[in-house]
Amino acid sequence: MLFLTRLAFKNLARHRNRTVITSIIIAFAVLSYILYDSLIGGMIEMSYATIIDYETGHLQVMTREYWEKETEEKELPLEHLFTLDEELEREIQEVEGFLAAAPELNFQARLGNGVDELPVIGKGIDPEAFGRVFALEDRFVEGSMFAPGENRAVLGKRLADLMDLAVGDYITLLVKDKDGSYNTIDAEIAGLVHTSNPNVNQNIVYLPLDIVEQGLNTPGEVSKVIIRLENKDLASKLAGELGGQLQGSAGNLAVYPWDEMEAVTFIGAAEIEKQLIFAIILLIGAIAVINTVILAALERMGEIGMMKALGLQNKEVVYAFVLESTGIGMIGGILGVLMGVGGVWPMVKYGVDFAGLVSMDLASFGLPILGRLYGVWNPAGFAWVFLFVVIVSSLSSILPAYWAANKDPVKTIYHR
Amino acid sequence: MALLEMRGLTKIYDQGKIEVPALRGIDLTVEKGEFTTIFGPSGSGKTTLLNLIGCLDRPTAGTIIFDGQELGGLDKKDLAIIRRHHVGFVFQSYNLIPVLTAYENVEFAIRLVNKYEKKEIRDRVMRILAAVGLAGLENRKPNELSGGQKQRVAIARALVKEPKLVLADEPSANLDSKTSEEVLQVMAKMNRELGTTFIFSTHDPLVMEYARRLIEIRDGQVAKDQRRE
Repeated sequence: MLFLTRLAFKNLARHRNRTVITSIIIAFAVLSYILYDSLIGGMIEMSYATIIDYETGHLQVMTREYWEKETEEKELPLEHLFTLDEELEREIQEVEGFLAAAPELNFQARLGNGVDELPVIGKGIDPEAFGRVFALEDRFVEGSMFAPGENRAVLGKRLADLMDLAVGDYITLLVKDKDGSYNTIDAEIAGLVHTSNPNVNQNIVYLPLDIVEQGLNTPGEVSKVIIRLENKDLASKLAGELGGQLQGSAGNLAVYPWDEMEAVTFIGAAEIEKQLIFAIILLIGAIAVINTVILAALERMGEIGMMKALGLQNKEVVYAFVLESTGIGMIGGILGVLMGVGGVWPMVKYGVDFAGLVSMDLASFGLPILGRLYGVWNPAGFAWVFLFVVIVSSLSSILPAYWAANKDPVKTIYHR
Repeated sequence: MALLEMRGLTKIYDQGKIEVPALRGIDLTVEKGEFTTIFGPSGSGKTTLLNLIGCLDRPTAGTIIFDGQELGGLDKKDLAIIRRHHVGFVFQSYNLIPVLTAYENVEFAIRLVNKYEKKEIRDRVMRILAAVGLAGLENRKPNELSGGQKQRVAIARALVKEPKLVLADEPSANLDSKTSEEVLQVMAKMNRELGTTFIFSTHDPLVMEYARRLIEIRDGQVAKDQRRE
């Protein structure tokens, strides 16, 4: 076997051009995956940041009934609110890695500008606490945040454009209060924001919490409390811990981590897309290797016949071919990984200005990209793609190698 | 003592709707240490007979007993084992592995036998290369050797494992007469020194001159079987 191993590796140099071309095909397949993986990884990280920074925070405290209505029935019910008292506030602040918390009173409304109407989500917020949890403060393109008690609102620039609104204009929100009566909340536009979160840009109207409480007739009540932590990766663990504590003190409240929110589940689609690209890449590698093995086998028929005449068994002939293909896979894989390192490094350091490249606002299309998109290093991805191309190279050579090894030795010796 | 006994050996090739008989009931016995040439016109069945003797192919009917073992009941794997240990081949077109040196081409055959230590393998390979007149050329690759030298490497490869039988199919076909003679002298010497049985298939009168037994095959049958002193 050792001799066959040596022979297989010597054969790599035999058809140097073919080995190089096949390896380059594999290397480019590996490179494509690595670049794609880096960009998708960057985009997923950006998506997480977009969701956490503008929509979900790290943890959300709300009643179980509210969670079910919101996630299952897409409603923002006013009958499942709760009061944020001092004891609850203290318990929340004692959570490990706690940075800030902000209450929200969410409601469904119809936004009117005097001419047109659009359905929107209204959010009653405490601007100071909200600013500590979310990153909206940096995203004002016009105007600024309101103060508590002011009849003023903040909304997305895109929504404002759709409704032909500007800072200083007045809006009317038609709402149904807690008793089911229709009411209106009038507000002057204090500021317009533009973020990488399309939901914030075109669906949400922020108002002072106390103004919303009056409008909805829900004094002292909130829909949820959003918590910001030091580390997003601890969210699930801490949600469990805080949830356990609250079960004792505030029985109907539960805690949900950011990655259980509906918005995050959409990101799973990117993962499926990545697997699809992965499969295509492996297919390219497999076709290149199968083609190479068949050509090599056809060229070496006489040699295969001679090896069988010397007493080599089919499995030993297959072993030699498979090992040769493994060698090609390894060369292509190493080359691809090296090229990948060279390709990912500038993407991580300098990023890619996709929005600039296509000259349009990608956030409007649901892509969480504002400014440059940065790639991420994923060493595990490098290792996996390398391992997979080597395995696929080996496996894809088995059938053509068996085809060659199974040839009648008499026919192969005499090239019949 | 008989190395090979063939009884009623028949080979029919099935070519679609037509059956082509290549051998029609051959009866032959080959003793150990013989230096035999099988000759006859093209299509007479020489190569087919060699392939059956060399366990590369199976007869349609009849039996072959190789060194006391009936080959009929053996599967592909067992036939490969017999070839690996007991049969050496020399082909018209040498069939050397181009990426290996002369030494490595010979080493390949003895490695397969898997019964020698590293040092013994080296000694045997070097000894056989010297015996076929290739001392000093062991590190050359086939493309750096002449036709005669390539055939000597093929002979060394066939002999290095000390097989019971060497089958040579038209070994001189690609060589000039001087080189053919040199190669035949090498094989005759090995036959004398090692007692290896040689069976040739050829058209070449020079090869026939060297043979101590001449078997003529015509239309798949033994037409003449003549021994020389």
